[in-house]
Amino acid sequence: MNSLWEKFLEKGSVEDCPVYDMHAHMGTYNRIYFPYGNFDPEITKKRLDRAGIKLLVFCHHWALFSPDIGNSINIEVVRKLPERLRAYCGLNPNYPEIIEKDVGEFEKYRDVFVGFKMLAEYHQIPVSHENYAPAWKYANLKKLPVLLHTWGGSQCNGPEQIRDVAEKYPEARILMGHSCHGEWGKAVRLMKDFPNVYAELCAVVDSRGGLEQFLDEVGSKRIIFGTDWPWFNHHYYIGAVLDSGLSDEDAHNIFHRNAENLLKGLIAN
Amino acid sequence: MKLDFFDVNTFIGRPMNGIFKPAKTGTDLVSEIRSQNISKAITWHILQYECSPEKGNRTLVEEISGHPELYGCWTILPPQTGEIITKDFFRKMKENKIVALNVFPEWHRFILNRISFGEFLDELIERKIPLLLTMDRACLSWELLYGLMKEFPELTCILCDIGIWGVDRFTWPLLEKFPNFYLETSLLSLEEGGLEATVKRFGAERIVFGTGFPVRYPKAAILQLAYADISDEDKEKIASENLEKILQEEKL
Ligand SMILES: [Zn+2]
Repeated sequence: MNSLWEKFLEKGSVEDCPVYDMHAHMGTYNRIYFPYGNFDPEITKKRLDRAGIKLLVFCHHWALFSPDIGNSINIEVVRKLPERLRAYCGLNPNYPEIIEKDVGEFEKYRDVFVGFKMLAEYHQIPVSHENYAPAWKYANLKKLPVLLHTWGGSQCNGPEQIRDVAEKYPEARILMGHSCHGEWGKAVRLMKDFPNVYAELCAVVDSRGGLEQFLDEVGSKRIIFGTDWPWFNHHYYIGAVLDSGLSDEDAHNIFHRNAENLLKGLIAN
Repeated sequence: MKLDFFDVNTFIGRPMNGIFKPAKTGTDLVSEIRSQNISKAITWHILQYECSPEKGNRTLVEEISGHPELYGCWTILPPQTGEIITKDFFRKMKENKIVALNVFPEWHRFILNRISFGEFLDELIERKIPLLLTMDRACLSWELLYGLMKEFPELTCILCDIGIWGVDRFTWPLLEKFPNFYLETSLLSLEEGGLEATVKRFGAERIVFGTGFPVRYPKAAILQLAYADISDEDKEKIASENLEKILQEEKL
């Protein structure tokens, strides 16, 4: 049992335990109605304040789903709320020329981007495909976080493809979004084999058991908090993490310390 | 504020393919809900779904007896086969502290509609007995649910496990048309802003608290409701008052 649960329950947020949401999105989306889909800096700030979310690192839906919009929307949104937002530069391997351009311009937008986001399953090209290579090489060189959408059994971003890139790019910080959902044992194996691979909790904590396995077999230093916001609610996720029987130390690692380490040098403190 | 919670969505028993730390018995469930500061729960036994509704319903009665915190939910099958629904069905419900019914049509292989359940569901409406439905467990499609509500517009239905991906485009038309149609919170709370938007549009009266234990974490739904952007009165309604009211109006 941890004391942080009592504190979150009493106040909704805890000053000495800020929360970094390292897996978020932004904007409306075709397949779901999001009450907070429309970006408004004031409203977004209020929602983040409610749960003590210090920083939200996102990739806008439109950047991921429309090559005609692309990363310009990420830049626009971060610059409207720079004290609370950073973005992942979204990559669509069906448009390698855009990837090359975006990687080439990465330095220009260091106030916006802290890493890359790959949604390989949706774009139907494996994360290990050469079209992604410019981004991987750059992330490897600069030790950048790369947030992957991952899922158990996937041929594009399943455990095997993650193994390929983790081996090839040992300095890239690979965040397994959804932690190879359903194949928790394989996610554990990857984290044991590669120090640059992290479990990310979005969709993991919609059911009990996965987080507990990561805590038991790998430990809290390799677990990253994320929610797919505005899909999912921050208090719901915070409550879920605190219901896993973890210690206060573990909770501090997951909610902020690990993210602070990953972002060191990438954002001004 | 301190909320009094009445959980509409729990089950007991060990699923055949395993699950992380379930409540094997009624006693286990009582200790879980106590540890979460939940005062009461409606529950059913996993046997009812994946083994035998008839055997499961009986096992449930044994598990909840002696636990004042627990109320039961029996599984129904079409009345024609006489497996579950017999003449003294409602009397037995009352005797055994069964306050709600659930149904898994596609999994248990029948059609949940007026042809199969006409008179029986008419009687549920008359007696105001709540029917708990789940969008989980491969047993109910949105089309089937829409058809059911169209045929029985007065039915008291609590839709549980509404979906991981937001389902407002499916549920809001039902909330709009059918006054006795309710949503359970274990996944509504998961949706960012989903509970608040639903309250704003349809009122807090249409939402009942559930944890989804042992599948989901109780503290998730608890913390979300505690800090939802709605009034304290609305939180109290959702946490327990709405469900209490549904059960008070029930005639067994
Ligand atoms: Zn995502």
